This record gives sequence, structure tokens and C-alpha cells, in this order.
Amino acid sequence: MSHLVALLLFSALVSVVFALLQREGRRERIRFGLMTFAAFVASALVVGWLMYPFPS
Amino acid sequence: MADSKIIAEPRRGGVVPAVILAWLLPGLGHLYLRKTTKGLVLLVSIMALFSLGVSWEARLAPYLGLDDLLAFLRSIAQMAMGLPYFIARSLGFEAGLVTAPSHEYGNTFTEVSGLLNILVMLDAYDIAVGRKSGS
Repeated sequence: MSHLVALLLFSALVSVVFALLQREGRRERIRFGLMTFAAFVASALVVGWLMYPFPS
Repeated sequence: MADSKIIAEPRRGGVVPAVILAWLLPGLGHLYLRKTTKGLVLLVSIMALFSLGVSWEARLAPYLGLDDLLAFLRSIAQMAMGLPYFIARSLGFEAGLVTAPSHEYGNTFTEVSGLLNILVMLDAYDIAVGRKSGS
């Protein structure tokens, strides 16, 4: 299991739940779920990139 | 106030069972309220999150002391998963493995699954009182 796989799994599963709870209607849910998934992945990559110079 | 407007017929006598069932198993409250598809997708998604967390050596042992507030809160979050949490503990997954590379991922996944289940319980409540259609 890599960090990226964990990130993708977490983002996908949480996005599905958020979309079901926050929106009504199939089209709205798919749109919101995809946006949430993209936001999770993009923000994690940006924060990871910003932390790259820090010692591990 | 638009948020408190009744938009669907409340299910009489269904509020308390719906919330309790929603706590016991994610999505079960929605199945009880006849929101079958939504209940099944919630069940699969949240159980997948929790199961992955357990398989990644999460620590499930409860910590109920107030001297470490964060540990207390994460225990409460895990307990919000309901029956799966207690079943996993009874099956011997309580201790986790702190030296495993995936340990912290496991903790995060199990805690977030419990927190999501709290949102699911609130959603079941809203549907049961008629505040949301839940379709």
C-alpha cells in the first residue's frame, strides 16, 4: 500500500459519503462528489509539495 | 427559516429507531426509512473505510481518560462506528500494531469512518422528522 493509494481510497470513499449527504439528485451528487474528490487529492498534493523541503 | 421547513411527511415513531439503527450499522437507519439505495451505498462506503483502517493495524482500544483529550476524542470517534467497532475489538483487532507503516493511516481511516457515521445519523434524523426528503 503506497501513500498515493491510501490518499485515493480515502478521497474516493469520503467523497461518496459527502455527495450522498450534501446533495440531492443523481447529477448534482456526481458533480459534487467529483469536485470533492479532486479537492482532496489536489490539496494533499499541494501540501505534500510544500512540505518537501522539510527534513523527514 | 428555510432550513427548518418540513419538506416531507415525517415517519411517525420512526425517529428514535432510525437514529439508533444508523449508529449500530452505517446506512441501516436509511434502510429502515426505505432509502434503500442511499443506505446501501453509505453502508458499503463507510464499512470499506473502517475495514481498510482495521486491516492497516489501527488501534481500537478505548481511551476514556480526560488527561489526553485528543486520545479521548479519537476513541469517541471510533465508537461512533457502532457494532463494527465492537465486533472488531472482540475479534482481537484492539491493539493494532504501532510499528506498522500503515498504523497511522489505519487510525485515520477508522476515526473518519466513525465521524462520517455521526453525519449519517444526523441525516437519518432529518429524513425521519421530514426535514429532508433523502431521495
